[in-house]
Amino acid sequence: MTLRNINPGIWFILPTMLLLAALIVYPMVSTAQLSVTDANGAFAGMRNFNIAISAPSTRLILFNTAYYVIGSVVFQLLLGILAGILLNQTFAGRSLVRSLMLIPWVVPGIVAAMTWAWMFHTDYGIINYMLMQVGIIAEPIGWLTNPNTVMPALIAVNAWKMFPFVAVMVLAGLQSVPEELYEAVRVDGASFWHEIWHIMLPQLRPVLVSITLLLTIWALDGITIIYSITGGGPANRSMIFPIQIYVQAFEYFEFNRAAALSVVYFLFICVIIVLYMRVFAAQEKD
Amino acid sequence: MRDRRRTALIALPVLILVVLAVFPFLWMAVSAFKPLSQLYTIPPRWLPSPPTLDNFRNVLFESNIPRYFVNSLIISVGSTFLALVFAIFAAYGFARFDFRGRSAALAFVLIGQLLPTATVIVPLYIVLNYLGLINTYLGLILVYLILTLPLSVWMLTGYFRSIPKELEDAAIIDGASQLGVLFRISLPLVTPGIIAVTLYSFVATWNEFVFALSFATEKEMKTLPIGLAEFSTEFDTDWGAVMAASFVMTLPIALIFLVMQRMFVGGLMSGATKG
Repeated sequence: MTLRNINPGIWFILPTMLLLAALIVYPMVSTAQLSVTDANGAFAGMRNFNIAISAPSTRLILFNTAYYVIGSVVFQLLLGILAGILLNQTFAGRSLVRSLMLIPWVVPGIVAAMTWAWMFHTDYGIINYMLMQVGIIAEPIGWLTNPNTVMPALIAVNAWKMFPFVAVMVLAGLQSVPEELYEAVRVDGASFWHEIWHIMLPQLRPVLVSITLLLTIWALDGITIIYSITGGGPANRSMIFPIQIYVQAFEYFEFNRAAALSVVYFLFICVIIVLYMRVFAAQEKD
Repeated sequence: MRDRRRTALIALPVLILVVLAVFPFLWMAVSAFKPLSQLYTIPPRWLPSPPTLDNFRNVLFESNIPRYFVNSLIISVGSTFLALVFAIFAAYGFARFDFRGRSAALAFVLIGQLLPTATVIVPLYIVLNYLGLINTYLGLILVYLILTLPLSVWMLTGYFRSIPKELEDAAIIDGASQLGVLFRISLPLVTPGIIAVTLYSFVATWNEFVFALSFATEKEMKTLPIGLAEFSTEFDTDWGAVMAASFVMTLPIALIFLVMQRMFVGGLMSGATKG
């Protein structure tokens, strides 16, 4: 085959494919290689994995990661679905409200993190002040320093940041629901809740299935908020997997261990994606 | 009548939603204009009286934030532009030609978009270090292609596909080359797509944190998100300055969004419903 016979489409995509191979495929192969060698490049078998996995903090970090991801995704979905349904109703000022709702999503992640850190401030934070005014708490809570409140606080920030994305998707999904469906149940005197439960949610199912996967992956990759607010503290209570990789690599300079963690983390994510696809692909067939 | 009752019923939830979405943002803005004495008081003051520009003066004249701002701008613009150039060709190739491995290549591009960044920071650091690109603009511009290129290709492919092929065929019959068709006929028609991709890439790179944290460690090369995070240290944080810097960082994004809001949301919605 001569060069002339090659489909011109290949030439168009070739530069991009080479670039992506260099930026994505090569680093991944290299990570795998680093994970089974020592600092001098000699083969080390599974030693890096053993050290990384048997570290006493590993269980806590796994727990935190699951806690953060599940908590974030559940509240992002709940808030986003509610907001989407709400903004699909007709009321005065709807387009203004729709725009305002997008603010959390548009604000840079680091800005959201800093703003919430200030609002969660133990002594001068507005959140403690308001809760005390209403009488929900008697004295200030150290939201970001108390091991029991740090994760819920961080999950709240992440839920706030991403719920508009869910709302926009839900809104788009609802707009493609045919009006006849509503009319049909309204004739039967169905309540608003009935409409939500029996029309909107079933119609939104495909949208929700795909955004849940996206939200999960984004939450798993969620370094910005946690690293900038707590750095994983207090005492690793908010340390999650990706931050641990960063810390191993750039604070302890244990590149091989960090690579081993990356491999474990990557496989972990692959397993989640495959399981998720299996479960939902199977349900779609039914 | 039913409508009026509904309006009354949803007024309260709508109000809660608006407060929830807007309040933190407003609180940041308000705090940025407060003097120190009004930031650290119990009970907190709702509005600064009188508002002060001291925090902004600190941020703009006595910190590294202006330098970080320029760094962020150079890197974001550079990476956005580079991604656009590569993506235009690739997207056109995906949209207009049928070749073996096409859908596999497209799937690879999509998976690239989903790749968790933490899994590649170690080898990327080693590669950049080897090439002498740690703490350089070019280093971050290249690495940011991971964020910008896949989605740019994916989105533009959709836009190119929506152009009727007959338009191009007509030009080819008139003797235009394949590249001539791309630049004279198709590219002008996907201008909305180009704008959407540019905005998306700019925002994504402007906000990026992990790569910047790992690959730009020198004071002269840091980007705005890292500078902002550094402002707040564990024991001594000038919250007025942090809020002012946050305000400064949000401005370009807010401007982009205000001007382009219609299209931004419109494009997203149409993408979502097409499935």
